[in-house]
Amino acid sequence: MTRTAERWISLAVFVGLILFWQLLSRIYTAEIIPGVPLVPGWDVLVSRTFLSMADYWGGGLGVASVGEGAERSYAAAALSVVTHSWDTLLRLYVGLAIGAIGGTALGLAISWSVWSRRLIGLPMQLIQGLPLLAMVPLFQLWFGTYFIGKIAFIGYGVGVLFVAGTLNAVRNVPQIYIDNALTLGASKLEVYRTIIIPAIFPELRATILLSLGVAWATVIGAEYLGAQSGLGYILVYSQQYGYVDRMFFVALLFIVYASISYAVFNRVSARLTRWVPRASAPARVA
Amino acid sequence: MASDTSMIDGTTAVLPSRPRAADQRGVTVWATLRSFRIDIFGAIGLVLLVVFWWGLTFVVPRSSLPSPLNVFRRIADDFVVADMLSYYGLPETGLMGSMAYTAANVLIAVVVGGLIGTVLGLFAARVPVARAISDPILNTVGTIPILVMAPFFLIWFGTGRWSAVLLVTVYVLVILYLFAQRAAENLDPVYESSARTFGAGTGDILRDILIPGTLPQVLGGIRIALAGAWGLEAIAELLGAQQGIGKIIEVLAGSLDIEGIFAALLVLGIVAVIADWIAGALVRYVTRWSVSARVGTT
Repeated sequence: MTRTAERWISLAVFVGLILFWQLLSRIYTAEIIPGVPLVPGWDVLVSRTFLSMADYWGGGLGVASVGEGAERSYAAAALSVVTHSWDTLLRLYVGLAIGAIGGTALGLAISWSVWSRRLIGLPMQLIQGLPLLAMVPLFQLWFGTYFIGKIAFIGYGVGVLFVAGTLNAVRNVPQIYIDNALTLGASKLEVYRTIIIPAIFPELRATILLSLGVAWATVIGAEYLGAQSGLGYILVYSQQYGYVDRMFFVALLFIVYASISYAVFNRVSARLTRWVPRASAPARVA
Repeated sequence: MASDTSMIDGTTAVLPSRPRAADQRGVTVWATLRSFRIDIFGAIGLVLLVVFWWGLTFVVPRSSLPSPLNVFRRIADDFVVADMLSYYGLPETGLMGSMAYTAANVLIAVVVGGLIGTVLGLFAARVPVARAISDPILNTVGTIPILVMAPFFLIWFGTGRWSAVLLVTVYVLVILYLFAQRAAENLDPVYESSARTFGAGTGDILRDILIPGTLPQVLGGIRIALAGAWGLEAIAELLGAQQGIGKIIEVLAGSLDIEGIFAALLVLGIVAVIADWIAGALVRYVTRWSVSARVGTT
């Protein structure tokens, strides 16, 4: 079978799923609570469900909130979706940036000396072994449920990954590069600046993509368990009241944002590591 | 999922690599056991970590950071029955019993999800039509942060055991689907071609080539899935469950009992690390004939 044929089948499966959902919503019209269908069709999702997002608009910008007694309006719903998405995405990317920078710096510092590299082995294994998502309550008690608490948690999750990734990448730098530079009289700092840091970057590409998955998991986990805003907050709040349609709507937003972030990260990191000779890449594949 | 290739390659970077096992030619049971021995530097590092933690308790208030000694004592006290938790109506308050419940759920999910994912992945790798159908579905599920599904499962299946198990099962299934598919595609076609030349049927090829040939990578995938499964199971229990270590953490967080949270997290973390060691040793033993398993963790 040709590639194009496979693509067409894949596309047909997608369209089929979308249509099946619509059909199911017509056949299975049970309502979990009055006015909220258990299977919300696409027409319901873009009209009534979207409108109900107005409930999560806190007011301002000349658009009154439902809490202030205003009717649900599309303007309030749109503003609500935008602001809550912004909150979630901001936490995600700030946490990601802090974790990536901090983790890489710490990883480089640890790999500076053979001693610290050896000593960190087992503790690092234990720290990595601590199930990250179970630590949400701990970070909430430490840093609160606001912005700082969220980015501290995401930053920690991403940071641990980057420390491990950096240590691994530094270990994989061919010794001959370093020896060569040292023979020519380079100082340790120069070796780091001109050899190790550029050499680990291609290896870190995998860590970067992996950390994106961790960042998504941690931001959602953190927002589920105590947040005043964000998409995860809406999702878990809707679950408590049985608003399946709202949950579905927010889940779709998550899928869209996550897919975009993966595609962009993939594209950007592929471009940044374009210069890497192909021969050095498969070392990892095993 | 757009990033699947890199994600799978990337996981090798995340897992602690074990060059020592790789050095040994002809890994035997003895060598597998020996790979368990803890290196002296690691042990010193671990002691330093505890000392650092202990030192930190003099700077940070006790309400934020309990001392290691208190946490260890707490683990010992609450191991079988936790008196403080007996008022919350939990069917199981001890750390051991709760941990056993959580571990059982993880085990069920890893076995079921692993089996289904592997079968689907191998099937998709060899039957293009099946692949064209399953790839868009499973790759979409793979892109979804799996945690998004948790509230849905809670609504559909309630707060019992099965909504958490299902969540972890889906997670494991997606990973193993990708790993098995990749492994089957990476298998040199010459093995299957030559077997067919000798008259092997589909069943023979499956038994003698496809399954043993993909086993190292599939088991590597199981190990990676296992590492993530603990946290996912715990947060599923945190969101809504009757028992389990996640439920214990939820109750303790409600009463701001940071010492108890530390104790529960430490028990969970230690079990997760030990499970990873056992899985790693098992992978090395089962795949001791394989070059690729000896070279890397994948």
